[in-house]
Amino acid sequence: MTTTTTPAAPTATDMLAAAHDAVKLALKKGAREAGVRAYRVREVEVRWRDGAVEKIHEATTRGLGLSLYVDGRYAAVSTSDLRPEALDTFVGDSVALTRALAKDPFRSLPEPKLYEGQASVDLKLEDPKYAAVSAEERRTLAREAEKAARAVQGAGSILSVTTSFSDSLSESWQVHSNGFTGSRRDTSFWLSAEVSVKDPDGRKPEDYAYAGARFRGEVPSPEAVGREAAERALSRVGAKKGESAVLTMAVENRAASRLVAFLLGPLSGGALQQKRSFLEGKLGQTIGSPHLTLLDDPLVPKGFGSRLFDGEGIAAKRIPVFEEGTLRTYFIDTYYGKKLKVAPTTARPSNLVWKLGDSGRDPLVAAMKDGIFVTGFLGGNSNGTTGDFSLGVQGFRVRGGKLAEPIGEMNISGNHLELWKKLAAVGNDPYPYSSMLTPTLVFEGVQFAGS
Amino acid sequence: MTENPGMSRRNVIGLGAAALAAGAVPDLFSDLGTALAAQAGPAEGIGPFARFGVTEQMLRDALGAALSRGADYADLFFQHRIGNSLALEDGEVNRAYASVELGVGVRAVKGDQTGYAYTEDLTLEAVVRAAKTAAAIADGPAKQGPKGFKADAGLPARYPVKVRWDEVRPQQKLPFLTGLNEKVFAADKRITKVNVGFMDQAGAILIADSTGRIVSDVQPMTSLSLSCVAEQGGKKETGGYNVAGRADIGFYTPGKLERIVKEAVARTTILFEAVTPPAGEMPVVLGAGASGILLHEAIGHGMEADFNRKGISIYSDKIGKPIAKPFVNIVDEGTLEAARGSINVDDEGNPVGKTMLVEKGVLTTYLHDSISAKHYKVKPTGNGRRESYQYAPMPRMRATYMLPGPHKKEEIIASVKSGIFCSNFTNGQVQIGAGDFTFYVKNGYLIEDGRLTRPIKDVNIIGNGPKVLELVDMVSDDLVIDEGGWTCGKDGQSVPVSQGIPTVRVASITVGGRGKKA
Repeated sequence: MTTTTTPAAPTATDMLAAAHDAVKLALKKGAREAGVRAYRVREVEVRWRDGAVEKIHEATTRGLGLSLYVDGRYAAVSTSDLRPEALDTFVGDSVALTRALAKDPFRSLPEPKLYEGQASVDLKLEDPKYAAVSAEERRTLAREAEKAARAVQGAGSILSVTTSFSDSLSESWQVHSNGFTGSRRDTSFWLSAEVSVKDPDGRKPEDYAYAGARFRGEVPSPEAVGREAAERALSRVGAKKGESAVLTMAVENRAASRLVAFLLGPLSGGALQQKRSFLEGKLGQTIGSPHLTLLDDPLVPKGFGSRLFDGEGIAAKRIPVFEEGTLRTYFIDTYYGKKLKVAPTTARPSNLVWKLGDSGRDPLVAAMKDGIFVTGFLGGNSNGTTGDFSLGVQGFRVRGGKLAEPIGEMNISGNHLELWKKLAAVGNDPYPYSSMLTPTLVFEGVQFAGS
Repeated sequence: MTENPGMSRRNVIGLGAAALAAGAVPDLFSDLGTALAAQAGPAEGIGPFARFGVTEQMLRDALGAALSRGADYADLFFQHRIGNSLALEDGEVNRAYASVELGVGVRAVKGDQTGYAYTEDLTLEAVVRAAKTAAAIADGPAKQGPKGFKADAGLPARYPVKVRWDEVRPQQKLPFLTGLNEKVFAADKRITKVNVGFMDQAGAILIADSTGRIVSDVQPMTSLSLSCVAEQGGKKETGGYNVAGRADIGFYTPGKLERIVKEAVARTTILFEAVTPPAGEMPVVLGAGASGILLHEAIGHGMEADFNRKGISIYSDKIGKPIAKPFVNIVDEGTLEAARGSINVDDEGNPVGKTMLVEKGVLTTYLHDSISAKHYKVKPTGNGRRESYQYAPMPRMRATYMLPGPHKKEEIIASVKSGIFCSNFTNGQVQIGAGDFTFYVKNGYLIEDGRLTRPIKDVNIIGNGPKVLELVDMVSDDLVIDEGGWTCGKDGQSVPVSQGIPTVRVASITVGGRGKKA
């Protein structure tokens, strides 16, 4: 099978021009200031299931987003209808909408001096050979991943294997009426596999593996991804609910990002200003154990969260978030910076780079001796105002420093202000397929609920 | 931040969940201006899309292109959705978010294989190009496209629109937000912060398929969400309430607005007295209404036929088998008037009715889209849904609920010596094959010696679908369909859903609390 692909109608030059035109249009219609982001994303995914292509999804999407500052009032709008007459009406209507709102003295584009000082580095976010990936290659990769999954020991109990290969090229152009112009292009390639297996008890446990990279040549082999997915799913066979207890918990690097993410929302300017953060007033205070050292680093080459400027156009820089357990920054945008009377940092984290420990998963599990190794979370939530959390978990019981029987249908709960002080060890194994880059984390004294 | 885009996750979140996790009013996108064509007949021909240059000739050419490599079937899904949301913070409605989505998705189906492409450019050239891309799923001689089209007239009217949302001026909506703000502050001195979010959408879809069927529908949507922070003795708590419906502005009756205030304040301020329940297995009573999240996670997803035709659901091969007590009846339907999960027609153009998932305790029917219906040689159940023109449809729930049973609420609570009662939830998730599922309880009570005693908060409950359904041993007669804004996520696509349940008792399930049971 071959697939003919044609580029989307508007060119990059068209899209940049559209962004400039939209700014001019907004000002003409009455905005005092305007910021425009034009984007175009091309995505292709081939999904493969049990010996055949299941789905091919291929498209290029594009659109415009505008931030409008009209008579001291603010609105953010977006449209995928770029026909000139439609856009003209849309911007006019949007300005009229903005005028219907209450004034907000804290709204403005960022201070232009914050646009300055972009790092002069090549972040290597775009694979120049992106367009060379063929439909045949995508199919082959997905097929090979299934083959690898079905080649593992115990594959006889596999019920179904779904794999996928996807690639994308994202382009965006940002223009602000107070002097900012920026653009970026990045590519990414993802390979994934999901495997369902038969458990003699009647359940059909599933697990998955995935891997991705900015450059096609750096995506791990389909063999590795397929094998990992199958081994993980098979390891779930016979999972039982363990007893409720307070235990040491190691969290696998891939899963640990879920816990870290619960710290980030409450660090945002909006949460602080709206009194919805358990981390309010905690800058400079000890939140975690000395093992918690975390840097927001937008300049990681090929990183999934890398950027030279943030969503507001502010030049990206490295910001320590936690140093040996002490909170060092909040994530504050221009608006909440003004409301809180502090300087903006950046609205959201980029890549989170950890100060790593000396050893990987196995030595950490050996050192914890007894407890539970968590490989995944299921549902649950965290209360950003109080720090209380309660999360479903699955994984393995650890006995004598070794992974023992699989456990599931269990839950952990606690409060983040206590949990992170009990962080006892950090692995040397940052998970590479996420901007969170979490290593294995070990916590002492965690409440597990089970039978 | 970039995370893996490929794998499937199934979960449901309430409007309040984002606020809980991120401490902000969710970015609810929606409307303004560019009017939906006024000349739109309710379900005739090209309808609202004529003014975007869509013609029968375009439909014929595009479907012909989609079948040009031998696909069995093809369809086009045109969508125009204009949305508007307004948000109040620190006493002022000082931000608006508006969006216009316009595009067409083209699907070509060969057996159970799907080729999908879409474009936002509704010129003939661009639509045909997308159709050719989708066509490549097949690799054989071209099939004939439809010669003519027949409009599927006479769709039901489950959400009559007196005034389209794109004709409602922002000034008409502002009092909803400012009114709630004032009333909440007046209701309780402990309230220190209030966020209100108002969202509306004016949507139109047009589906044309290779059998020559054309269907169009006009789809409104709205929600009003109130979240507040209260402070007492140096402690802070957040809570809220929201209502959502596929309805026009008439949805917002004075009674509804009063209820939002009353519930939001009560749910927030009670948290100062709330404790965390103990950890471990215990009887759990689920209050009528939002507890329908149990059904969504414990059985609804597992009954979506795509998982079953692949043999990977814990419910595969269980049709016709008893899985619950005889007084347990569970349905999924799209016909409730103005419910968030209701639809006049599904996103494949199929009629939408009521589907029995469980009848008298026996597993009866899966939820089908057209691909799974063909596989099982049954009629589609009208569950083929999609987030937008950017996605291919798949089996999804609509409004999922349990029918009333033989017990009384009081009797159920009185039957529990030591357990919990749950009334308010934020989110849930399920593993389709293993069957494990969770839901997060925001408000509830301890039950001690048959009586509700101390309030509880922030606890996750985890169980296994079929095991828990077997353990539903009491069902009350007080069915409530929850009026909250639930959104279901599956395989990267979000769709609006409803859920409901009468008061039920689960004899035993794991409560993710802290400390030992009494």
